Amino acid sequence: MTNFFNSMPATPEINKPPMLPSWRAWYGLVLAALAAEIALFVWLSRYFVT
Amino acid sequence: MSALDWAVLTGALTFIIGYGAWRTRRAGSSLDGYLLGGRQTRWWGVGLSIIATQASAITFLSTPGQAYADGMRFIQFYFGLPIAMVLISIVAVPIYQRLQVFTAYEYLQSRFDKRTRTLAAGLFLLQRGLSNGLSLYAPALVLSAILGWNTTVTVCLLGAVIIGYTVSGGTRAVTVTQQGQVAVIFCGMVVAGYLLVHYLPREVGFSDAMHVAGRMGKLNLVDFHFDWENRYNFWTGMTGGLFLALSYFGTDQSQVQRYLSGQSVTQSRLGLLMNGLVKVPMQFGILLVGVLLFVFYLFQPAPLTFNRPMYERVMRSDMAPQARQLEQQYTLIQDAQREAATALVATHQQGNTPGQAAANLRLQTTQAAAAGIRASWKGLVQQVAPAADSKDTDYVFISFVLRYLPRGLVGLLVAVVLSAAMSSAASGLNSLGSTTVIDLYRPFTRRLHCPDAHLVAVSRWSTVGWGVLGVGFALFAAQMENLIQAVNILGSLFYGTILGIFAVAFFQKRVHGRAVFWAAVVTQLATLLAFWLTDIAYLWYNILGCFAVMLLAEGAQRLANRREIRLQQPASL
Repeated sequence: MTNFFNSMPATPEINKPPMLPSWRAWYGLVLAALAAEIALFVWLSRYFVT
Repeated sequence: MSALDWAVLTGALTFIIGYGAWRTRRAGSSLDGYLLGGRQTRWWGVGLSIIATQASAITFLSTPGQAYADGMRFIQFYFGLPIAMVLISIVAVPIYQRLQVFTAYEYLQSRFDKRTRTLAAGLFLLQRGLSNGLSLYAPALVLSAILGWNTTVTVCLLGAVIIGYTVSGGTRAVTVTQQGQVAVIFCGMVVAGYLLVHYLPREVGFSDAMHVAGRMGKLNLVDFHFDWENRYNFWTGMTGGLFLALSYFGTDQSQVQRYLSGQSVTQSRLGLLMNGLVKVPMQFGILLVGVLLFVFYLFQPAPLTFNRPMYERVMRSDMAPQARQLEQQYTLIQDAQREAATALVATHQQGNTPGQAAANLRLQTTQAAAAGIRASWKGLVQQVAPAADSKDTDYVFISFVLRYLPRGLVGLLVAVVLSAAMSSAASGLNSLGSTTVIDLYRPFTRRLHCPDAHLVAVSRWSTVGWGVLGVGFALFAAQMENLIQAVNILGSLFYGTILGIFAVAFFQKRVHGRAVFWAAVVTQLATLLAFWLTDIAYLWYNILGCFAVMLLAEGAQRLANRREIRLQQPASL
């Protein structure tokens, strides 16, 4: 099996994304947003039913 | 529609077609320019194009209707999407960009062989060719409802316009046009949501509407209960939805072509991640419009069916007396429903818990009675038109737009639906033309040298062919249960196998072409057989198909290795 992060070609252009310090930070942002959305949906499901 | 609506609609469509034609002028005869827009798209262009390609007219018409009838549980289908965006950004984008491929399937030849590449491209062409037809049917549904046109004539007319626009414009024109279309779609969603709340009775606010929707089970956003036969729960979204998104965005040329047109790995990745951030909130907004429609029709008279052409057909038949009787019963039930909903809001505002429980029970009772009347209506529809779809969820949103929105805005919203349909159908046809020429024509042609102009011409003609096939398939779409589900079911039957081939290519380096090819053939046949014989929810086929290809390919490769070793042993002795 190939390691996901090792599969990235190591060019400077790829290692330095705009706006955030690293690609890992970008991926973390997307996944954290998803987690926050699911938490909000769980809250909405429960809050408006009672 | 008023004259102002027609003016807005015609003006918007003329602008879209004219804009596409204007961009085509710059596409030229270079294959790179025509198929990938010269690989010059920035991240936001890539992201908006990805969103526009997925968010077709079907999304705008079907999804609010789905929330109206079934609540918001469909949102869970998209939970796997952001994860898929991250995985594709890490694994697939650098490989596709490094190889400078035109299609995802080109990579499979360098990794395996021509046969596996052709198989994957063939499966894509089959499912995308058919599902593109469904995308054409959705706007035809709108026009037939508005104008009373024959659906067949509408599908053919609209198909001809979309084919003409797509063939004349290359990927760049499609991408640039989509940017404006997404902006209009977002505006349309916000306006529709605002007006729905605005049109509620004065004493019913947004929070009250949400409470009523919650009490009626429409805010079923997350369900952690595991059930194999339940299409939409947290687990199907995080597994089946993830694998469907991996297949769709990682291996479906209609999406891969969007980020292959990016300037660089960075631009393509950011476009995908933008989609990962936007998609779930966007779908939430569209579903919320459907839930607000449900609350709106608790206080306003709703028709027995939102499918007006079908209503008129039943009323012209021998079943008209029974239909009128049902309609009268439905009107009475609606009066009781309105009273119960008003009482529920009032008791909620007063904090009167016992009163809320009583009003809630009354509202649920009237809902059940209304559902019984609608079921009887569907029985009448089945008798009048046995082959027709008795469900009317795809008509719910557009019926509201036509009946309640002010002049001018109706035309704008219809134009939004049509332009969204055009953008997604254009991307689909664009990718079908690209795959046909790059993966089926170029590798098998006997011509020693194919100039770009010749390949672009072949791509254009194959796009015409796929468009005509899509129109033909769209004519059967009226009999599908729900448009968006039909598209997703169709995709899931093929995506698992295609994703499996790519997963083997990326992660199982020891597996060769022969093993993966036969693993894919066996898996595809087994998937179609399982769909026919079992009740497994369709999202599971994505994950089951993918793992089946990976396991079968690994097993076949090990058997082949053992056989090779056995054959070599006597020679070495």
